[in-house]
Amino acid sequence: MASDNPGAAPVPVEERLFSLVLALLASEAGLTKNDILSTVQGYRQKFAFAGDNASLERQFERDKDDIRELGVPLETIEPLDEPGSNHNLRYRIPKGAYDLPADISFSSDEIALLNLAAMAWREGSLSRESRHALLKLQSLGIESIEPVLGYAPRIRTREAAFDPLTDALSRRVLVRFSYLKPGDLLPRERTVAPLSVVQHEGRWHVQGIDQNVHEPRTFLLSRIIGPVTRTRTTFVSDDTHSAETALAQLDEIWQRNLAVVRVRPNSDAETRLLKKRGSSRDEGAAESHAITLHFTDLHLLADELAGFGPEVFVVAPLELRDAVRRRLELTVATHQPEGVAHAEKTF
Amino acid sequence: MPKRPSERASTPAGRTSFVHAQDKLAFLLSLVPYLLDRERVTVGEAAAHFEVSEEQVREAVRLIAVSGVPGDTAQYQHSDLFDIAWDAFEENDEIQITHRVALDDSPRFSAREAAALIAGLQYLQALPETLDSSVLTSLMAKLSRGASEAPSQVAVARSEASDSLLTIRSAVAAGRQIEFDYVSSRGDREHRVVDALRIDSNNEDWYLRGWCHTRQGIRTFRLDRMADLTQTDAPNTYSPGDLPLPDSLFDGSGETQGVVLEVLPAAVGLLGEYLGEGEPQLASGALTRVTVRVAHIHGLKRLVASLPGVVRVVDPADARRAVHDWAVEALAAYGTYADDDDRDSLT
Repeated sequence: MASDNPGAAPVPVEERLFSLVLALLASEAGLTKNDILSTVQGYRQKFAFAGDNASLERQFERDKDDIRELGVPLETIEPLDEPGSNHNLRYRIPKGAYDLPADISFSSDEIALLNLAAMAWREGSLSRESRHALLKLQSLGIESIEPVLGYAPRIRTREAAFDPLTDALSRRVLVRFSYLKPGDLLPRERTVAPLSVVQHEGRWHVQGIDQNVHEPRTFLLSRIIGPVTRTRTTFVSDDTHSAETALAQLDEIWQRNLAVVRVRPNSDAETRLLKKRGSSRDEGAAESHAITLHFTDLHLLADELAGFGPEVFVVAPLELRDAVRRRLELTVATHQPEGVAHAEKTF
Repeated sequence: MPKRPSERASTPAGRTSFVHAQDKLAFLLSLVPYLLDRERVTVGEAAAHFEVSEEQVREAVRLIAVSGVPGDTAQYQHSDLFDIAWDAFEENDEIQITHRVALDDSPRFSAREAAALIAGLQYLQALPETLDSSVLTSLMAKLSRGASEAPSQVAVARSEASDSLLTIRSAVAAGRQIEFDYVSSRGDREHRVVDALRIDSNNEDWYLRGWCHTRQGIRTFRLDRMADLTQTDAPNTYSPGDLPLPDSLFDGSGETQGVVLEVLPAAVGLLGEYLGEGEPQLASGALTRVTVRVAHIHGLKRLVASLPGVVRVVDPADARRAVHDWAVEALAAYGTYADDDDRDSLT
């Protein structure tokens, strides 16, 4: 039972958070900060009636953030007669905005799919978000039907920039990072209002408004050098389709860019390049083992093709052929037999 | 007493316990509506349903039972608190909420939770289970409507693997073996007969894990290296769930050799599955030195050639030589085209 005894064991954080949610859900008119700190379990034990509660107030601010991050609609109401008054702000959680709408239900098959969707996020900050979402789904008490064939999907978020960028996206704050464009010698600092983070052809991109040119730009996360700084400057965006738009734009670029390569018959390169989305064998061409490929980024395709070594020869475009050749030359230079001077300066 | 359902074939990694108070809060807010929905449930059933330990459930129930709202007196009177049937709980491990306050329904998803599940579903569009796109569309709409804010703009382009997955899934459903030609990283093409056990994926790379009758062992195959995949008439020896699958995609058994690599520190993640758990990473100047274990150099050779200037083979000498020769052989083809390039550069 709750106790006012100051010598009692400290109230665990989850108990304080849970009690705050219950208190704010129960109060239609809302509670003032003073009400909360002086009466709610976990705060009241530390509340000084005639003293300084600054650290308790800071704790309340952090708790509000934690609760809101879980999707709980914790509202702030300004008193009508005293607009702008901070002191008499009231806090509440409207039950209608808290409860999952009653007409939303899921079948056992749908739950199975959602389990897999959550499982795909096995790394990075979204793995916690997925776990929370699954708990909420499980609260509905629906048993899942296991698929015939087991799946273990995984979406990689190896890039260190992924977590700060998706966080900035939710908070709608500008980010700053150094970006190395292929062909540039030095990275350049960019300030961007992030509108979406999308994975296309296995690569993460952030799309947003570049604050220097005030135009939309797309950046590859793997080309961000060093840390991403989240600023305190917020921006406004009500675009609820920016991720869809970003993917469609990347797909347009992919559609437009064509490369032709010649592959060794029956090689790994032939099998795998032919299985890539949109690839086709040039049946009529004189070179019978020519394959036409779509690509989004010439330099990423050059990396991939260089890995196939002698199994691939780039026919077109010439810029791609040069890019592959430069990569192969660098590999030769960095893998000289012992005794021959290493080309470490290029490394 | 009901037993925990058998280990799911689709869940390779076990669930971890909650680390943050926020995770515990998400559990509490989910557990209450679940318990209210079913009048009486055992600790074991609840633990199995939420994929947590029985002790985590007991701990949460004890906390719920003493929680509530400050109430009219602001004193947390008995009627302001949840209550449970204590005897049934302590003696029979059964949970029954006898009095509830403030909370009864499942919470909404946060913007990020909904986004994680929606992006996960987009990624899973390759699965045979989601071929009917109306299933996904309606599911995504429900998640979006069930979130307390518009879902964050995170999206994943659909991944292509449908054709092979359909064949494999139907073979598993029929209890039959599959056969296909497989081009290994060495470049040889071999006929394989396999019992499919699970499909794994890493971004846009899809793998079949199965019992290989040709090799009499568990093997991992890239879907994009398979050719002429068909279902046979022979019944399979093993079905999904019959054999434990190691978490690592790579087969660590058999003869392996250690290969020493130098990697740009930011790119260590690109070694992916090659990098074993707990493998020491030593600083070597500005670079990181790691040792990976491989059965042969051919797969690693391709990876290193696709990351020139990022990864370099240091030792042993014959591995370094293999990468060198791979690139030299590839470059030879471009030598014969030197005339073309000269002509182009003159125009």
